[in-house]
Amino acid sequence: MSHYKCLCISDFNIDNLAGYLNNQVQPSVSTTVAPYGQVIQTLMNEQAEYWQEKFNLALVWTQPHNVIKAFQHALNYENISLEKVLDEVDTFASVLLNAAGRVDFMLVPSWVIPSYNRGYGMLDLKPGIGLNHMLMHMNLRLAERLSQANNVFMLNTQRWIEVAGRQAFNPKLWYMAKVPFGNPVFKEAVNDIKAALAGISGQTKKLVIVDLDDTLWGGIVGDLGWENISLGGHDLAGEAFVDFQTALKSLTNRGLVLGIVSKNSEEVALTAIKNHPEMVLKIDDFAGWRINWQDKAQNVADLVTELNLGLQSVVFIDDNPVERARVREALPEVFVPEWPADKSLYTKTLMELTCFDTASISHEDKSRAEMYVTERKRNDLRQQMGSLDDWLKTLEISVKVEPLNPTNLPRTAQLLNKTNQMNLSTRRMTETELQAWLESGDRQLWTFRVADRFGDSGLTGIISLDVVDGAGQIIDFILSCRVMGRKVEETMLATAVNYAQSIGLKHVYAQYIPTAKNKPCLEFWQRSGFEQNGQNDTFMWNAANCYCVPEHVTIQTEEA
Amino acid sequence: MIDKQKVAEAIYKAIDEVNQQLPQDRRLPQSPDTVLAGPAASLDSLGLVNLIVVTEEMIEEEFDQLINIADQKAMSQENSPFRTVGTLTEYIASLLQETADVAL
Repeated sequence: MSHYKCLCISDFNIDNLAGYLNNQVQPSVSTTVAPYGQVIQTLMNEQAEYWQEKFNLALVWTQPHNVIKAFQHALNYENISLEKVLDEVDTFASVLLNAAGRVDFMLVPSWVIPSYNRGYGMLDLKPGIGLNHMLMHMNLRLAERLSQANNVFMLNTQRWIEVAGRQAFNPKLWYMAKVPFGNPVFKEAVNDIKAALAGISGQTKKLVIVDLDDTLWGGIVGDLGWENISLGGHDLAGEAFVDFQTALKSLTNRGLVLGIVSKNSEEVALTAIKNHPEMVLKIDDFAGWRINWQDKAQNVADLVTELNLGLQSVVFIDDNPVERARVREALPEVFVPEWPADKSLYTKTLMELTCFDTASISHEDKSRAEMYVTERKRNDLRQQMGSLDDWLKTLEISVKVEPLNPTNLPRTAQLLNKTNQMNLSTRRMTETELQAWLESGDRQLWTFRVADRFGDSGLTGIISLDVVDGAGQIIDFILSCRVMGRKVEETMLATAVNYAQSIGLKHVYAQYIPTAKNKPCLEFWQRSGFEQNGQNDTFMWNAANCYCVPEHVTIQTEEA
Repeated sequence: MIDKQKVAEAIYKAIDEVNQQLPQDRRLPQSPDTVLAGPAASLDSLGLVNLIVVTEEMIEEEFDQLINIADQKAMSQENSPFRTVGTLTEYIASLLQETADVAL
């Protein structure tokens, strides 16, 4: 989704935030602001004029004392029980959840009170007394209740307050315009909102490519030798490089893949990585590398191709501004963050990047880095084998076919919304929309989990079939790039054709819808065995004929 | 003497900030003649409040002095100091001068 229509609902004047949202960078947002101070009325009255328009997004930002009346009493130091406050939080959460059904996504900033309100001072975190103790419980309860809906996300307002510092609250803005926060709070909020929307849109970065000299360690390894590079020890720069490597390694636990592009002798650089005792990142943490004296932009492009990823999913980190400028110029889709000269700021700069936000983190995400490393090992094996078939036989590929179910729905929706290359129709749908589509006709959807002797690649394929007038149209044909070219594509088609035969359909066909990125899908269909009607990129199979599962693939099925 | 150019530059920085919230066709140019309030102004009332608050912050940053632009005195003046960037510059310079005179 490239444009979001956002309804801003607030109990304060939120026009400043709306202004920033409308103006700042992609994804583009156009806002409508509901009258402030009427939060509950706006949320509950679905006949209200705002709801007659379709919004992709609702932003509901409230102050705790306005929507939770018991908390207003607590702020007045009256004796209010936590249970009473939490009951009101539950009621407010129900109102939000109900309204969330009218939009694709809802964002709810957490509640804060102004930092100049010291509450009970040293007693403010004491159970049964403290205002901040109560507020923390309220936010936790709201987060728990809202987690019932997959399309509602709570954002951390406290972080924006801390970034804004002393400009977070400006009483003059409140008394003159009913704006409780300073503009730096809204700017930081917009950064997080835009990052959330990019994550929801599947624009999350997947691959971090790093340089080596003065990026992962200090000094030029080719000149100094690996024993003398700056890394670890009791030294500002050395410790900073260790922390930076640790932060990079941590990213692999949330689904990021690491690669290296460096101007160095490969042998010298790999020796440093293998032998230096303070290296946090090991060879097996990298999905691939290009370590040579060639142009870095070309090396980045080659590595991305090898890993079957798109350039738009790449972050390139290099200490050298000339190399950064070169990659930016040659590969504008690659995100090249400005990088500080001060080594002590490396980890902070990495952690401040907003390009890694996702709407969900699946098992497949968490093990992505490991999967890419095993893929590198697969390819090493492939180099040793004579033919593609010989290689595929050695992989012992197993494919588990399952219909859509509540367990695999989040990952299926994620795959549907993120996959660009092997994607027949590039439909983008929320979980709710996908389920509704499946149930609104004679339709089937199968998911495919792929494993081989190197490891489990997880749920990486989807095919859906719409049965109309005795023929089956393949609507979605989606395969993650991490398992492309292993005959899983043919296995997916065999599943659909077998089903078509079992219910007596005459034909199975597919309509390829071109995008800027899905040419690999067209190329597969052209060699799939389906008959192509060249006029409109339609592919047809006579269901009287068997479409065989490839020999080297073992199928496991589960009934709907 | 208060450096009026520095005052104007602080106001221009505030204009840059406020422009980030405004649509392209309503953005304020950095000029002494830019109209801030009244029928010919492109700023609405919230925009003017934002400009006042951010200008106060910029002046504090530049001159290390807290000033209150939107006080009763300014509001009651026959010729509002918020008419243009130029009149606001003069008004802020006079406030800063008053503070400097008191300090002497």
